Amino acid sequence: MVTPIYIIVALLGVAFALGFSGQKQIKAAGTLALGALAFSLFVSLEWLIGLYTETYKSTQIFTAGVNPPFSINLFMGTGEALFTTLINFIGLFGGLYLFNKLIKKGRSTFIALLMLIMGLNVVVMTRDMFNLFVFLEISSVATAGLIILNQNKKSLAAGFKYIIATGIIAGILLIGIIFMYRFTGSLNIDDIPTGNLLMIKGFGTAIFLILTSILLELKPFPANGWGLDVYQGTHAGISVFISAASGTALLYVLYKFIPLMSPSFAFALSLVGGLTFIASNLLGLKQTHPNRLLGYSSIGQIGLVVLVIGLAPYLGDKFEYIAIALLGTHVFAKAGLFWISGIIQKDNIRKWTILRKNKLLTILFGVFMLALLGFPPFPSFFGKWELITELAGNGFISWMVIILLGSFLEAVYLFRWLGYILKLEAAKKELQPISWNKYLPIIISAILLIASGFGMSYLHEHAKFINYIPLIVAAAFILIDRLPVFIKNTLAIASVGLWYYMMYPDLEEFRLIFATIFLVGGIITLLAGYAYKGKRQGFYPMALIMFAGLGGLIEAKTTLEFFFAWELMTIGSYFLIIRGKKSISHALSYMLFSLGGAYAILAAFGLATVNNTGISLDILANLNIYAPAIFILLAIGFMTKTASLGLHIWLPGAHAEAETDVSPMVSAILLKAGLFGLIVMMIKMGDQMIFGLSISYFLGWLGVFTAIIGNLMAALQEDAKRLLAYSSIGVLGYALFGLALMSHLGWLGATSIAITHFMFKTTLFLAIGGVVWRLKTKNMYQMGGLIKKMPFSFISVLISIIVLAGIPPLTGFAGKWLFFNAIMEKGWYLQGALISFAGVIAFLYCFRLIHSVFLGQLKDEHRNVKEAPFWILLPQYIILGVLIIFSAFPNSLLKPIGEFITPYLPNGALVWDGQMAYSLYGYWNGELIMYAVVGIFVAVLLWIIFWNRKIKKVKQFDIVYAAERPFLPETTHYAYNFFAHYKKAVGILAQPMISNFWEGVSEIGHSVSDKIRRIYNGSGQAYLIHIIGFIVIIFLFTFGGF
Amino acid sequence: MIFSLVNISLIIGILLVLAGIWAAITQKNIIKIIIGFSLFDTGIHIIMVALGYVKNNTAPILDSENLRTGTADKIVDPIPQALVLTAIVIGLGVTALMLVYALKMYREKKSLNINSFKDLKW
Repeated sequence: MVTPIYIIVALLGVAFALGFSGQKQIKAAGTLALGALAFSLFVSLEWLIGLYTETYKSTQIFTAGVNPPFSINLFMGTGEALFTTLINFIGLFGGLYLFNKLIKKGRSTFIALLMLIMGLNVVVMTRDMFNLFVFLEISSVATAGLIILNQNKKSLAAGFKYIIATGIIAGILLIGIIFMYRFTGSLNIDDIPTGNLLMIKGFGTAIFLILTSILLELKPFPANGWGLDVYQGTHAGISVFISAASGTALLYVLYKFIPLMSPSFAFALSLVGGLTFIASNLLGLKQTHPNRLLGYSSIGQIGLVVLVIGLAPYLGDKFEYIAIALLGTHVFAKAGLFWISGIIQKDNIRKWTILRKNKLLTILFGVFMLALLGFPPFPSFFGKWELITELAGNGFISWMVIILLGSFLEAVYLFRWLGYILKLEAAKKELQPISWNKYLPIIISAILLIASGFGMSYLHEHAKFINYIPLIVAAAFILIDRLPVFIKNTLAIASVGLWYYMMYPDLEEFRLIFATIFLVGGIITLLAGYAYKGKRQGFYPMALIMFAGLGGLIEAKTTLEFFFAWELMTIGSYFLIIRGKKSISHALSYMLFSLGGAYAILAAFGLATVNNTGISLDILANLNIYAPAIFILLAIGFMTKTASLGLHIWLPGAHAEAETDVSPMVSAILLKAGLFGLIVMMIKMGDQMIFGLSISYFLGWLGVFTAIIGNLMAALQEDAKRLLAYSSIGVLGYALFGLALMSHLGWLGATSIAITHFMFKTTLFLAIGGVVWRLKTKNMYQMGGLIKKMPFSFISVLISIIVLAGIPPLTGFAGKWLFFNAIMEKGWYLQGALISFAGVIAFLYCFRLIHSVFLGQLKDEHRNVKEAPFWILLPQYIILGVLIIFSAFPNSLLKPIGEFITPYLPNGALVWDGQMAYSLYGYWNGELIMYAVVGIFVAVLLWIIFWNRKIKKVKQFDIVYAAERPFLPETTHYAYNFFAHYKKAVGILAQPMISNFWEGVSEIGHSVSDKIRRIYNGSGQAYLIHIIGFIVIIFLFTFGGF
Repeated sequence: MIFSLVNISLIIGILLVLAGIWAAITQKNIIKIIIGFSLFDTGIHIIMVALGYVKNNTAPILDSENLRTGTADKIVDPIPQALVLTAIVIGLGVTALMLVYALKMYREKKSLNINSFKDLKW
């Protein structure tokens, strides 16, 4: 056990010793400095472990052997040990990262670094307020020295603003301290009477000045221009110390002062924190300089922790868990991002494409970014979960909104940045070779981030039950990313299959159906992956993360597990979608809608815990407060995935631009996650009433409009994959409508649509994907006449659109028949009529699809086109086989589903007699219809073959075609603007009104951001005015001036 | 009594603090801004000393004379004086740092006008 005083001794001693070293021994001197930092890390880490395992007891250290106030006392408890460990970690690895730079600039830089870290250590440990002031000043002076590590006009200007701002703040702190001494006769925090003392004249002012100056050091909005300028002006390696180490220390100081806060000041604190969190993330929207952007994010994250500190009394024993999860993530992630920025050294985030030349750094960037945004499995995920749950439990709805809104804004700019890195035109230059001492800190931060994520989940009473194995398997695929596709694909199929096999015995009812769609469907679409050559780097980890999420939804027993899986699925699918060639904007809008939806779900789950015990999904079944709000929030969250009207604009681009086998994954499989969520929700919650109206009635109408608009848009597309994407929106509209009927037959119809949509959309996307694969174009007017070139794809499309359009004898008809029965039973005649109208529009796009692509004229340049690759055809024909069986024997599918539904909605179930189904209104025999149709089809076919046997076959350029010139400009092609006449009539419905709406929202956000950030006009004196104004406002607020 | 030594010192201190802040906010010349900070610091130091002063007591120096005559309990509280000494030292350090910055800034742009250093914004 080393007394913590030796931290100060070592750092200070070595700093003095460095004064004697000459420029010749600079390397030795630098190594010695790092040694001192390593020693400090060792001491604080030893204390942390010792205190955690309870082998050490927290101690007071009195310097000079007398009691306060005549001596300074330091305290080492669990909090101090943890925070000094964080600071010393940043000190050591930040010093290692900058080692070469510091050596070049001379020994004084090492001295400044040692003084900074020593100052922060004491700031954390001290219990003496004047001592706090002294060491804050020491670290400020050291920071000001480090800021001009790269001496130029930017860093000088930034540094000067930093000095004058911190100078004023420190002066105010000092006045507060001296008044405090005057009133209490002590400088020790522990001697100061606690409680609501702010109202005692004079003494209250003293506490106020101390607390406010500490708060100002944390750069609250809007008195933080100086901080932002420093982030932008200085070397990124220095920003790490300011953001991660100084911020951490000052937050701990604020924590130490909690007992002195009056409720009004605590409230002001949380207001300031919340405002800072929202404002800095809003202002980040318009920012393009990477370091300043990270500065905004950094200030925002610290604001969030300040908010949490302000709300500490309400968070109970969860307070420390939340604060540490959020702060720990901030420290490691922000340090990692700044360090990466120091390697890239580009002044605009659009130039960061050079990062993707280095795979490892790109992955690490992604890790840090996802961690900052609170994705699983990082600590902030659990922190945010607990925070939202606790806030909901206290009825703090507006705080929830603030936190979720701020997080959302942060996601906007971080994901946009990631998109630029992954997709903008590649940089020509290669990245400079990176030395190990720059890699090491970044890698260790990422490892610690992941490890602490697991640690936090282990400490959580519910999170420790999360099944991490699928995620670990997915992560393992990163390690084998260099192997060829064939091996990785086989392994991927095997692991998904194994998981389904292991899960199977526990599956029942809807979980069985959706597990089959998710995982067996996953295997079938993965088969198409064999068509790819080479390595296909990065695909498999992400696909498996998505499947891990999808499977996790099935396995989830608690709301936490469900949300965890939901977020995993979102991450995986985002990275799959962004692989497409022109996916940059679509992937972003997919992510933003998904995140918005995820936050709605999180809020709903938080509200569901109120007056409930535990977090099992079953709590949704016995809500006694907020039930309609929870229903609506969950519905919105799930409908972002089913792409219901209003929340659908991300879908067409995302699905159309995706790779051949990714389109079916995200369209045929992923959308069903939203349906699964809706079903789980409705089973648990039933219908809910709002103002005396049933919500499902609205959902029904939403389904109707989604179906009509989706189908209409599909009919008016030129791009074949876009057509299919819009068609998914339409079909999912039917499914939503079916669920909203809240009747046995409605649900039966919706479920059978979910299953058949999975099947026909997989085959369609693969078949059209195969065509695109060969033709290298997605525009239908550039296709045509492919029936003879790609006959297998043609048959596959033909059968699929028969199912899609609901034509007998195939299983799509069953869905239609069920729907009509269900509508009549419910009495929703108008909706029913509109739904069948949507069905008619579906005929249009089905016809357009098959006609434009496979019938008509073959293009000259497609004369040598081959059939799609075998591995793309194979999954289609597997599915078609199953489709035919389900069509011929409908009870093999519908009867078990009906039995699953009966416990929840018993009335109006079908009665089965062999393959004959009876409803209230009629009967239907799928088998018989199949035989009849096949019989008629075969008869007609034979008839045609017999009568046509003498007809002379002509080639395309035979004189028979004289009426049409084969080489026409594309726009006069028959398939271009195929439904021009309908467009004229109902095109008004197909205007991109909803896209315009969301674009308007985004535009407003960005221009507000641009307006507000003008307050940071770059003048240090203006920043001083902000600081003084801030003090006045907080003063009036705390003392009731407002 | 309003015009006691303590009150006069306090008022002077507060005025100096305000004058210093005023200079820091309004002056365009960096050297004048730094002088403003010195005023600000000095004002705080005077406030500190004034708060520690007790009328009719002696300097906080404990020597054998005090102990012999039994006047040890008449010395004023030594803590504010210790604090003010430390604060003066820190203030000196910060002022020195600011002057170094002023020098470097002048070398960089050949200007001491604070408005020449507004490159970083928004």
